[in-house]
Amino acid sequence: MDIFLSEKNRVVRQSVRRFCEKEIKPIAAEIDRECSFPWEVVEKMGRLGYFGIQAPRELGGAGLDSVSYVIVIEEISKGCAGLGLCVSVHNSVALYPILAFGTREQKQKWVPPLARGQKIGAFCLTEPNAGSDASGIEATAIRKGDHYVLNGNKVFVTNGGVADTCLIFARTDPGAGSKGISVVIAERGTPGFVVGDLEDLCGVRANPVSSIRLYDCRVPLENLLGKEGMGLRIGLTALDTGRLGIAAQGVGIAQAAFEEATKYAKQRKQFGVPISRHQAMGMMIADMATQVDAARLLVLRAAVLRDQGKPFSRQSAMAKLYASETSTSVTDMAVQIHGGYGYSKAYPVERYYRDARVTRIYEGTSEIHRMVIARSVLE
Amino acid sequence: MSLKIIVCVKAVVVGAPGGRVIRSSNSCELNPFDRPPLEAALRMKEEKGASLTVLSMGPPSCAFVLHEAIAMGAARGILVSDPALAGSDTLATSAALGAALQKLAPFDLVLFGTRSADGDTGHVGPQTAVLLDLPLVGSVDLIEKKGAGLVVERTLDGFRESFEVRLPAALTIHPGFSEPRDVPLAGIQGAFEREQVETWSLSDLGLSAEQVGEKGSPTRVTAISKADRRRKCEFLSGSEEEQAEQVAQRLTEWGLLE
Ligand SMILES: Cc1cc2nc3c(=O)[nH]c(=O)nc-3n(C[C@H](O)[C@H](O)[C@H](O)COP(=O)(O)OP(=O)(O)OC[C@H]3O[C@@H](n4cnc5c(N)ncnc54)[C@H](O)[C@@H]3O)c2cc1C
Repeated sequence: MDIFLSEKNRVVRQSVRRFCEKEIKPIAAEIDRECSFPWEVVEKMGRLGYFGIQAPRELGGAGLDSVSYVIVIEEISKGCAGLGLCVSVHNSVALYPILAFGTREQKQKWVPPLARGQKIGAFCLTEPNAGSDASGIEATAIRKGDHYVLNGNKVFVTNGGVADTCLIFARTDPGAGSKGISVVIAERGTPGFVVGDLEDLCGVRANPVSSIRLYDCRVPLENLLGKEGMGLRIGLTALDTGRLGIAAQGVGIAQAAFEEATKYAKQRKQFGVPISRHQAMGMMIADMATQVDAARLLVLRAAVLRDQGKPFSRQSAMAKLYASETSTSVTDMAVQIHGGYGYSKAYPVERYYRDARVTRIYEGTSEIHRMVIARSVLE
Repeated sequence: MSLKIIVCVKAVVVGAPGGRVIRSSNSCELNPFDRPPLEAALRMKEEKGASLTVLSMGPPSCAFVLHEAIAMGAARGILVSDPALAGSDTLATSAALGAALQKLAPFDLVLFGTRSADGDTGHVGPQTAVLLDLPLVGSVDLIEKKGAGLVVERTLDGFRESFEVRLPAALTIHPGFSEPRDVPLAGIQGAFEREQVETWSLSDLGLSAEQVGEKGSPTRVTAISKADRRRKCEFLSGSEEEQAEQVAQRLTEWGLLE
């Protein structure tokens, strides 16, 4: 694995790992239980550059490569998947589209506070009637003078409860089908911008996932990202990068579960020997190790391609599909190895098992990913 | 006048898969005992505008500890590296570091950790100071500037000691000096973007292969084996109350409970 990493990537890994061991791991069980967003730790992460991993340094970011990016997400997710989700979504689908499609003025205005973690970003695409089919969104952004007037109901917004800067997907031309979708940036605090209740989720509970509703919310025309009608293109570009992050999150959760399961299998004795010596347990551990490595390699490959400026869309879809499936199967085996204790909140694998499940759903379900991959293979 | 500070750091081995030690960024990390002196120097840099160079002896694969220190705020890194240095004991290490420090002279302050997490001798700081004829105070946890020198303090055997030292001087910094900082990602990118680490070989230092490495090392580790820790395990029986009673009785007998 490590042969693919540069010295810089390794220093990133060591540094982030040390931070997560010290600051995130000790509170992970509690913030999951309490559904609380750990502001104090998040502020520290902001000062260390975790919210602007790839943003240019002159705009307040760390200016790192994609390989470093997936390493950071993996390490944070290993400690707390909810925080891993926060950092992944913020960096990839909230901040990156502004860098990729924003004007100079937009970048100067929006990127520095996001990259420093002083503001948190969100990506608002999903609606009650539009999930996998993003082109089915109903939210509108209608031009009135020098403003867009936003109306709509966005659901399952990662970071929703704390986000300041939100990318809203809405129809600027309601008659134009999927060509009428645009991205407009809306800020929390704008009249008509209403944050709904937090979702009571199965996993990633430290993340304040919520709905965001827009009632005649007026934002200046200069908040349009790219051009009118470019919404789906911006969304797909963002999701290519986002999927890398979610794939890395899956690897992080799986790695954590794998480490716990291996430790437990060596300690727990039944029939007079550590259970790791029972062949069935050894087989599971072999499968876990192999799947985690394979998933990480797929993630690294997509990240390297992105760093080289080559197409990485199919590879990022494969990485997301495989890493999320790995994450659910590895956490499942980790629970199995722990027996009854794995089903108890007294052990962390119970949390990993819940956290892993959603990686197969958000930023494109596994089914949608298979469709995307099949299409690109068969075309 | 701003101080010119040099911090000596080491990459220590944290993992030896299969019992083989290969020094690299996978198996090594910045010695945790070197973080407090780095922190002390970084604070002097931030508060008093000191200049900060980090110095390490080790194979090229360990240069990353210098990059890490640069990521935290050091300006320059020097790696003393030469195949002939392999097998150096603490005296030979001090000789190499001392020669590098002389090349970096003039400086005001050299900081060391109190010991390393792998070798654990605590020799290198004091030995290097002796070789360079520098005044040394060990286990310092407070540093203040006074006139042309420093006032430093430490706690030893339950006493608080305060020293005035003239500069240049050497200090080893107590691990409890303060919480070492985390490494900012932008710093890491910066540390690798523009090469700020120089590598010095023996000839750069004016040393011969006889003065260092195994030849220059008066001590040698001849064997390492697992210590025979004589522990006795005794199982108590009876009800919980009876067992607790027996525990209390034993602890009293051993003078651990009154
Ligand atoms: C914790 C969490 C955080 C989220 N964060 C965000 C966020 O920040 N921003 C955002 O916009 N969204 C977010 N989402 C929403 C997420 O992206 C959607 O839930 C996801 O895209 C699926 O949409 P859906 O839930 O409406 O399911 P549906 O699209 O209704 O899918 C239901 C089932 O049908 C299958 N299906 C649908 N279409 C097809 C097809 N063509 N062929 C085969 N099978 C199909 C799906 O695979 C799935 O199994 C989040 C969701 C969760 C749970």
